[in-house]
Amino acid sequence: MVGLSLGETHFIQGGIAQDLRCDGRKRLTYRPISVETGVIPQTNGSARVRMGATDVIASVKAELGKPSLLQPDKGKVSIYVDCSSTAEPAFEGRGGDELAAELSNALQRCLLGGKSGAGAGIDLSSLIVVEGKICWDLYIDGLVVSSDGNLLDALGAAIKAALSNTGIPRVQVAAGTSNDEHPEVDVSDEEFLQFDTSRVPVIVTLTKVGRHYIVDATSEEESQMSSAVSISVNRQGHICGITKRGGVGLDPSIILDMISVAKHVSEQLINKLDSEIASAEAEEES
Amino acid sequence: MEYVSPEGLRLDGRRPMEMRQIRAEIGAVSKADGSAIFEMGNTKVIAAVYGPREVQNRNQQISSHALVRCEYSMANFSTGDRMRKPKGDRRSTEISLVIRQTMEACILTHLLPRSQIDIYVQVLQADGGTRSACINAATLALADAGIPMRDLVTSCSAGYLNSTPLLDLNYVEDSAGGPDVTLGILPKLDKVTLLQMDSKLPIDILENVMQLAIEGCKAIANYIREVLLENTKQLEYRRGV
Repeated sequence: MVGLSLGETHFIQGGIAQDLRCDGRKRLTYRPISVETGVIPQTNGSARVRMGATDVIASVKAELGKPSLLQPDKGKVSIYVDCSSTAEPAFEGRGGDELAAELSNALQRCLLGGKSGAGAGIDLSSLIVVEGKICWDLYIDGLVVSSDGNLLDALGAAIKAALSNTGIPRVQVAAGTSNDEHPEVDVSDEEFLQFDTSRVPVIVTLTKVGRHYIVDATSEEESQMSSAVSISVNRQGHICGITKRGGVGLDPSIILDMISVAKHVSEQLINKLDSEIASAEAEEES
Repeated sequence: MEYVSPEGLRLDGRRPMEMRQIRAEIGAVSKADGSAIFEMGNTKVIAAVYGPREVQNRNQQISSHALVRCEYSMANFSTGDRMRKPKGDRRSTEISLVIRQTMEACILTHLLPRSQIDIYVQVLQADGGTRSACINAATLALADAGIPMRDLVTSCSAGYLNSTPLLDLNYVEDSAGGPDVTLGILPKLDKVTLLQMDSKLPIDILENVMQLAIEGCKAIANYIREVLLENTKQLEYRRGV
């Protein structure tokens, strides 16, 4: 991306100070969000989310695996992010790896809860087939197709939509197997389990520009940021994870203020997102 | 295993000379100079073009014509079995080179000296015929970017199974171990710019299979021309001409 001139940076910062951004939005307004589900039929679940010119695809693949020794009664979930070169020439080769790693770590922190599995957006116990022996491994892959700022919120929304679209095959365990042997399983082609995604949080990123902070920053606004705080909030209003980016320090009272504002903004975002997901699912079924 | 039934139907219900359903969409990546999504059946590819722009690496600059670069990558979720596919592995390097050579043959590079054209191709879903879909997507993206080209490049694959030439193989047919011919042509100039084949094939049957692939390429060219024409009409309407 070509750098901005001094006049442009002053224009952006001045606009934010006056609560009027370059595209006419207020400080706490999101760009139009559109959701499309079932875009990758070969996966168990997939979704595509567009926020303005930012375009991301998320997919969920389920495979049978072995539970972790630490939590034999829970399935496993992993999140990976890939930055496609189509989004930015700078992502060519390994250019996007650093950003992809940062995004996937932030998403894991915001969506998967702690190491114990508590606070995860999905009930991991529902992924168990045979305790200690067989469980579902969920692989959540995010792909950045077009990048115009605020990738974290878009990826969080896409993952929530992809989980809503996910169907896990029902598994029958063969009866009469001895306790020591590896159980035989029959994966159904007809029956699928759907996730309850009401507990999956959304991510709200507040970007500090000048003396104010904004939501849903474009890439131009992000180039002017001193720091950014991403807060994931679920429908119950609980904070599920916080990530701060950018090296400039923030006053603790400002951070608390940001968290409270994020909680307020997330209510509209969750409602908007849930209605978009519902209409996308309905459209896919027709 | 039987890939063509006695009634002449394939596993997915197609006739031997029938193509999968093709779909194309222009302008999928708004920040790119040109972009397109191309679908052949369940194979789905997105391509973006950046340029012509200043050469990023000075020693690669060519004083008489444009430098064309290409990068091909597959999403982790794009195949039936999920696996991590790093960029730069041997297969993606080879396909990147194939796409670059094919595109270089049709771009009028001498009109853009000392510049660089980047083509990025991302596979979203793979179900056979991936490199053909990539070349078709790149052609659409270049046209969307307004890069001057001699002709559209279109590509199609063909194979030979159960003593029958087959057009536009899907993944199951591709994995059957029979011969696989991938062909890229400039349809109006009637020149072949890409030809790849694996496995064994008698030369007279090769001619038949190649001819079948050429027919497929021309059908794709007609479709791509329609898409571009429709896109131009939309632009014209919006400009109010």
